[in-house]
Amino acid sequence: MRVRLQLFLIFVALALAALAALLAGLWLGYHHLAQAGATLAAVVRSGVMAGFVQAGVVSGFALLGLMAGVWLLLDMRFAKPIDQLAGDLRARVHGDVTAALPARQALHLGDLGPAARAASDSLAQTRSALAEAVARETARLSGENARLGALLADVPAGVLLCSADHRIVFYNGLGVGLLRAIGPAGLGRSLFDYLHAGPLQHAYGRLCATGDADAASDLLCSTRAGARVLAARMRLLQPEAGAAAGYVLTLQDVTADLNAAARREALLVEMFDRFGRPAANLATLIEALPKPALPPDLREALQGEVARLGQAVTELSQRHDQSRGEDWPLMLTRASDLLDGVAAQVAGSGVLLSQKAAPLLLHCNGFEVIGLLALLVRNLPARRFHLSLEEDGSDALLRLSWQGEVLALADLEAWLAQPIDPAMPEISGRAVLAAHATDIWPETTAQGAALCLPLRVARRETARPDPVLRDVVYDFDLLSGARNASVAEARLDALTYVVFDSETTGLLPDQGDEVVQIAAVRIVNGRRLKTEVFDMLVNPQRKIPAASTKVHGITDAMVADAPPMAEVARRLHDFAAGAVLIAHNAPFDMQFLRRIEGQIGLRFDNPILDTVLLSAVIWGQHETHTLDALTHRLGITIPEEARHTALGDAIATADAFLKLLPMLQGRGLTRFDEVLTQVRQHGRLLKDLN
Amino acid sequence: MASPAQKPKVLVIEDEDNIALALDFLMTREGYAPDRIANGGEAMARIRETHPDLVLLDVMLPEISGYEICQSMRLDPNLSDVKILMMTARGSAIERRKGIALGADGFIAKPFELKELRDEVRRLLGQGG
Repeated sequence: MRVRLQLFLIFVALALAALAALLAGLWLGYHHLAQAGATLAAVVRSGVMAGFVQAGVVSGFALLGLMAGVWLLLDMRFAKPIDQLAGDLRARVHGDVTAALPARQALHLGDLGPAARAASDSLAQTRSALAEAVARETARLSGENARLGALLADVPAGVLLCSADHRIVFYNGLGVGLLRAIGPAGLGRSLFDYLHAGPLQHAYGRLCATGDADAASDLLCSTRAGARVLAARMRLLQPEAGAAAGYVLTLQDVTADLNAAARREALLVEMFDRFGRPAANLATLIEALPKPALPPDLREALQGEVARLGQAVTELSQRHDQSRGEDWPLMLTRASDLLDGVAAQVAGSGVLLSQKAAPLLLHCNGFEVIGLLALLVRNLPARRFHLSLEEDGSDALLRLSWQGEVLALADLEAWLAQPIDPAMPEISGRAVLAAHATDIWPETTAQGAALCLPLRVARRETARPDPVLRDVVYDFDLLSGARNASVAEARLDALTYVVFDSETTGLLPDQGDEVVQIAAVRIVNGRRLKTEVFDMLVNPQRKIPAASTKVHGITDAMVADAPPMAEVARRLHDFAAGAVLIAHNAPFDMQFLRRIEGQIGLRFDNPILDTVLLSAVIWGQHETHTLDALTHRLGITIPEEARHTALGDAIATADAFLKLLPMLQGRGLTRFDEVLTQVRQHGRLLKDLN
Repeated sequence: MASPAQKPKVLVIEDEDNIALALDFLMTREGYAPDRIANGGEAMARIRETHPDLVLLDVMLPEISGYEICQSMRLDPNLSDVKILMMTARGSAIERRKGIALGADGFIAKPFELKELRDEVRRLLGQGG
């Protein structure tokens, strides 16, 4: 309820109460007379009644007038200005009003008026700064968006972004070109309107099953119209919590390449066949010539030439045979994934399939081979199978076995003529075998019968390698050329920093302790670049004390083959060129670098910041400034396995610095020289800094 | 196996006339009794009829492939003693493995050296090198 209304109601209540009190007073007076024996007629006749009424009316009006006056005064001076002030503040808080509050409005409200104006001004300034920041960031992001768009447009492959239900949510220029060749392109349409679903669903399923966010799958897929073959790479996108992952699909039309390869292959096969037969016949026919038909030396020469021809055809044919399939873009497939895929395809069809796979990576198109095996399982009369994949010389042998009669080759050939997927009639079982330069045959085994299919082995399976960081590294601000050349006057967030840390044999460099590991990371335009990392072990050319090994885990054996400090320092110098060096307790680490400068002929003359001192600037010298204490205060967690590794500590220091940056800026320290001035007030370590 | 008095019977199943002619000459010269058919469709009937000691079997044949003939022969217990030497124009490792897996006793790639063929035939007929 507004203040004015509240005040009005209070005064109405007061007036009513005053009138009631007046009437009560008059009634009490009359009641007193009645008790003294006066009758009403006598009271009226004596004029006392008229006096009562007159007194009541005059005092009543006087009371009402007084209250109205006080109400009006309070209303004009307090209630109305308060309501106006509240309205004006609301207009500034909830509306888009930016004008300052009028000073006269709250003349009688004491400090409330100035306080409200200060709050309003502060709000306006904050809003203005926020709007500027948002506008700046929006402009920056729009610029980056446009540049990324331009980059994607120039990527020489079609790029599609698809949701988990395989709907297209983004395409680049080449991507839309590929789609338009099949049908009208449209965001939100199913990818399967354009491409056959089988290989894509297979790859998506395998990627989701790996649980590896960095895994990618290469596959071949074909268009639903136009008979184009596309080589694709699928990579999952980071899903939002609880949601299924979408994916990026890069596509390249390899139809022409594959057709050319197929024509070349057919030509070679025909060539070897047409040369091989006459060469074989020639040798035999010369042998059949009667002895007198040719002089011995001529016969010998002829036989020698024919033999050379035969050998050449044989050798070249074998070499061609070994290289068959290399033109085909076959992908690496895990043997276990392949067998899992077959099991998944035949699941629910009443087939019992046990499986055993050697740890191998195969050169094959997983979708096609799985489709081929599923096709055979569906056709075979047996319902219980064992599928094994084992190393077989330089190849792998896939064996589908069952208890029962051996399969007749004629039946096998008939099944191989069928498509592996009804939606892709052009891919028959025989076509799959040709694409893999292999063949399949039935065998009788001790337990019954089997089908044998050799496949090319890429290599033995090892633990998955560490995923290659796939962050796209960019900083378009570097293109602007607006970076300040002078470090002292440069904005803190515009500088390039190299944050480093070292592990040593001990804490006394002047008593012979040496570096055993140095790591560094780079910060550019306020971002730590995950891909730009320096991390090297150093041979200290002395024993590492067990106590030190206990801290950082680095042993003599680990550094036995590592380069010496001079070489590592040279590389670090290159890595840090042009950057501000940052370390936590920089004098300690710098001491090791300074003393090697003479030996390597290079100076570490970079500007230096120390996060110990920056912490002191923010929290004062009374606080604890160890790396653990600092990171704890800033909410940074150092994984236990990374603590006291040079890289782990360098990353933690870098992250701490990035969190200290806005705190320094909040104190008005936005330039490097301003920070340096503050740092100098913390006298400790000045000798080593700058 | 033929008795010492009898010449070993060699059936050449080859659709190319020239190489069939050359093989016929060679087998005759080596002291065998060659016979020849050019069509895979007729092969099984002729093999069952003549019961040769050795079949020189081309892989690529009209109607029925050499592999199918090889498998049919090995599934027939009456022909278990008939040796099979498969011949192919390509001679890839996978073709060789497939042939051996289907029951061939030997595999030779064209163009073959006559000595190699002669040695292989002698080996299969138990005549040594």
